[in-house]
Amino acid sequence: MKNKIIEAEGLTKIYKKSVKAVDDISFSVEEGELFGFLGPNGAGKTTTIKMLTTLAALTSGKATVAGYDVSSKPAEVRKIIGVVPQELTAEDELKGVENLMLSAKLHHVPNDKARNKAQDLLKLLELESAAQRQVKTYSGGMRRRLQLAMGLIHEPKILFLDEPTLGLDIQTRQNMWAYIKGLNHDDGITVFMTTHYLEEADSLCDRIAIIDTGIIKVSGNPTELKKKLGGTILTLKLTDGADISASLRRIQFVTEVEKEGGIYKIKLVRTDALPAIVEAVTKSGLSISDINLIKPTLDQVFLQITGNTMRDKATNGDSYAQRVLIERMK
Amino acid sequence: MFADTLALTARSLKKWIRNPAAIMPGVFMAVFWLALFGSSFNPVNLVPSKVGGTSLSPTTVLQIKSAISSVFGGAANYITFLTAGIITLIVIINMAYGGIDIVLDRQLGYLNSLLTSPISRASIFFSGALQNFVKAMFIAVITFIVAVLLPNGLQVGAGFGALNLLGIFAAIALVTFGFGCLFTSVAFSVKVVDSLIAIINFLAFPLVFMSSAMFPLGTFPSWLKGIAQVNPVTKAVETSRLLIVNGNLTASQLSTVGWNMLYLVVFASVLAVAGYLIARRALKAE
Repeated sequence: MKNKIIEAEGLTKIYKKSVKAVDDISFSVEEGELFGFLGPNGAGKTTTIKMLTTLAALTSGKATVAGYDVSSKPAEVRKIIGVVPQELTAEDELKGVENLMLSAKLHHVPNDKARNKAQDLLKLLELESAAQRQVKTYSGGMRRRLQLAMGLIHEPKILFLDEPTLGLDIQTRQNMWAYIKGLNHDDGITVFMTTHYLEEADSLCDRIAIIDTGIIKVSGNPTELKKKLGGTILTLKLTDGADISASLRRIQFVTEVEKEGGIYKIKLVRTDALPAIVEAVTKSGLSISDINLIKPTLDQVFLQITGNTMRDKATNGDSYAQRVLIERMK
Repeated sequence: MFADTLALTARSLKKWIRNPAAIMPGVFMAVFWLALFGSSFNPVNLVPSKVGGTSLSPTTVLQIKSAISSVFGGAANYITFLTAGIITLIVIINMAYGGIDIVLDRQLGYLNSLLTSPISRASIFFSGALQNFVKAMFIAVITFIVAVLLPNGLQVGAGFGALNLLGIFAAIALVTFGFGCLFTSVAFSVKVVDSLIAIINFLAFPLVFMSSAMFPLGTFPSWLKGIAQVNPVTKAVETSRLLIVNGNLTASQLSTVGWNMLYLVVFASVLAVAGYLIARRALKAE
């Protein structure tokens, strides 16, 4: 069993005695894990990160980061964590490399070491050519990358990422995922990240927790969570002919077959069944005119758990109001 | 802690230096207050040549003029009297408004970045005060130069030297640092710029008007005079003025300067500690 590097027990945050931003949540993150906190806007993700990074006081409960209690040993916690906030905090008037060196100073990294590390990070995040330019000339993606570098300059054991790809286009976002994955796999940094992009959590995280209205609804490995939904759905449109439902049902890994006109809806637990299905179709003398494979998504997991899709939630008036309220009360 | 404070202060000053337009409001303020406000009034011009149709003898006129001049600390003209007060006014206002950067740092999430790093809370506070202090003192020097360059502007007394100059800026620096710490702690405590501006206007202007920055204490009603006399702004302004008007100080003037400086050192130290304690509360995990 791996070492638990973050542990939260009954973590609760109530703003101004009335707004429950985080409601009695418990979870743990193992050393070296890439852990995703997934939920719509206003769900309590940022508040949780703020509590774990010593920015927000706990109303009740307990949390430890690398064995240090965030409430009683905040100074120790700050030494070993790297935080990449949602906001872009690099200085516009300073050059990229100057921002990195400033971050290094604030984390008491010796100058020589910081200079080397800064060069490494600039190279890794493909900012080398922009290092000597003022940040105000950077694009959104470059700023996000610089922000990530600023959180890594002191080689933290644990990296907290709050919506690391917010506002980026899909290609830049995928590049960002590759960097994050690399940091986790190659450098062994434990990553705790929040996101409201389902595909982000799906492709990046070893384990996720879905949080909504301040409560953890479910947690686990993304693949397992999707499996619980009942697997992949294959839709086949066949040329007119005999009903082959019965022979399809006999194929291994096929759990359910429905026929509507010439369209078969086949539920699979594993996609290994595909060759056998194609064979069965060919054997019966039919041919496929259209095929569609729907893999279960985290969106469906989310829908099943909360009764809402993420999109519904994100534009939901109540949760927006809640978020504004929390912002104002801070 | 000192290294952290210096690193953070350097960050702000770098930003400031790369944006030279940022000092212009301070320069404009100096020019307007001195060239327009200062030139528009000269107390000795109040002395009439005739009273009730009777001409005053030139001797009487001179005597009255000299009496008025001594009320104004013996200054050769109003700008000479005013310069110390205007510098103090401008630097205090600049220090106070410098807090806007601190509020914006909070709103833009920069402050959170500092708070999650292992630097001490004291260095966050003192770098906030120090960065604005350095900017304010730069503007103080510019204002002084403007006063000297103005036609019929600042006229220093005979024997004025480097020590006078040092004393002038030391007194202004102490009062600025003291109030600067107070305003900085306010800036760390509020969440929006509007609240900061409201508090600045509520504090800064009365602070300057309840002092001898603009007019001599001799013209004040007694209630206001009582307040003005203990106002650190008055102590700083009177000290600087004494050093401007008189080149070589008499023993009693020297002792006034000494006591005022001591008063200002104590004042600045107390407000630095008080400001830090207020800011520390505001910087605690919410």
